[in-house]
Amino acid sequence: MKVHCSKDSLLTGVNTVQKAVSSKNTLPILQSISLKAEGQKLIFTATDLEIGIRCEVPAQTEIEGTVVLPAKLFTDIVRKLPDTTISLSSQEESIHLFYYNSEILLKGYDQDEFPLLPDLLDPTIFSLPTNLFRKMIHETVFACGSEENRPVFSGLLLEIDHQNLRLIATDTHRLAYRLAEIPNPDEIKFSGIIPSKTMSEIYRLLKEDDETLAIRFNDAQVSFQFGSVHLISRLIEGQFPNYKQVIPQTCETKVYLSVRDFMESVERASLLARDSSAGASIVRLSIKDNIIHLDHTTEIGRIAEQIYMEKEGNDLNISFNSKFILDVLRVIDAEEILFELSGPQGAAVIRNIQDRNYIYLLLPVRTY
Amino acid sequence: MSQLTQAIVEVLERLKSLTEEMERLKRYVTALEEENIRLKRELCAIPEQETERVQQNAERLQGVGHENLAKLYQEGFHVCHLHFGQPLEAGDCLFCTAFLRKD
Repeated sequence: MKVHCSKDSLLTGVNTVQKAVSSKNTLPILQSISLKAEGQKLIFTATDLEIGIRCEVPAQTEIEGTVVLPAKLFTDIVRKLPDTTISLSSQEESIHLFYYNSEILLKGYDQDEFPLLPDLLDPTIFSLPTNLFRKMIHETVFACGSEENRPVFSGLLLEIDHQNLRLIATDTHRLAYRLAEIPNPDEIKFSGIIPSKTMSEIYRLLKEDDETLAIRFNDAQVSFQFGSVHLISRLIEGQFPNYKQVIPQTCETKVYLSVRDFMESVERASLLARDSSAGASIVRLSIKDNIIHLDHTTEIGRIAEQIYMEKEGNDLNISFNSKFILDVLRVIDAEEILFELSGPQGAAVIRNIQDRNYIYLLLPVRTY
Repeated sequence: MSQLTQAIVEVLERLKSLTEEMERLKRYVTALEEENIRLKRELCAIPEQETERVQQNAERLQGVGHENLAKLYQEGFHVCHLHFGQPLEAGDCLFCTAFLRKD
């Protein structure tokens, strides 16, 4: 292989595929990046067998070929390279990097050991506007669980039916639901659980100038293609719980709140309300007339905040894990929210007033 | 030629056995249909009072069941079908509360 390309292109390549490099020390070959010079492009590939990412960058190829290099070391070297054209020349499993009058030799691995990214068999293809999908991921992915013993909660349910596209995430204590209406002329149907790591990567890699995102899927895998990036991921096996039955249809108290005021107050209150024994920061809300009182006294101090709001229904004292509130307030694309409450122990619902297609459910903490 | 004859004999034997099986199934279906009609008649014969008593008893049992599940949840165990009987960790479960609310 002999190829010339800019430092920026090399950096784009390694940064794009980096999250697919295995972080576990099981197989050394999975901690490497494959570089393939083909035509006028250099193709970067990495996979940990759960997720695989391929990225193409422009290059001038003299001799086509492939090398497999240790990911961390190669990435560190690329970051430190000067901003100039870099020439890469392979010799068996090693590669020489030439820049100015300098040279780096890096030993690699046998390219035959590097796993190929699978091609989906009989895939169904679907296209989406990237900005919409990126926003949907942003508003839901944080609600996923991280426990490995309950894999269905470590992913997001993606559902496509008729003109509806839904993303749902839950860790069983809270649930984020986002619906979007999309054209679906072929009446494609899909329901699959995609690992949150995959979705976070798509969110990170999608650029605003990528116009369309092509999704291919079959029963076991899903792939996403946008710009020069191709990402393939396994689907999580198992049945996602019936999320519809969890969403309350009625409530006892409705509160209309400014996102900014509420977020800033909860952030301040959570600093003092840190409960070291439970490992969570609890905020206590006392909703009376048209004021929410956040009042908390701990060994290190006391905070008393008041937020003015509009209220319909009963007064109420209720407590929440502040993280569960702040997570949603930081991503919701609205100036005002509707907070629906059903008593001190019932599930609460946060709705975007401007966009009724977003729902966030959270359970209170039993303190009252 | 003898092989062909043998094959034909085997096919005939299988056909005969299948026909016998079909006859047996036919008789079984007829017996089931008759029993179904008889049971329907018996069901219609149960007085309204008896039906009400059975329904009330079922509701009572359902209520007791719900109370037991609510108690189990309050004691710190999942009652949702996802993790039934497992200890609640890190707070309440949306699916348990929805299940108890729905009932």
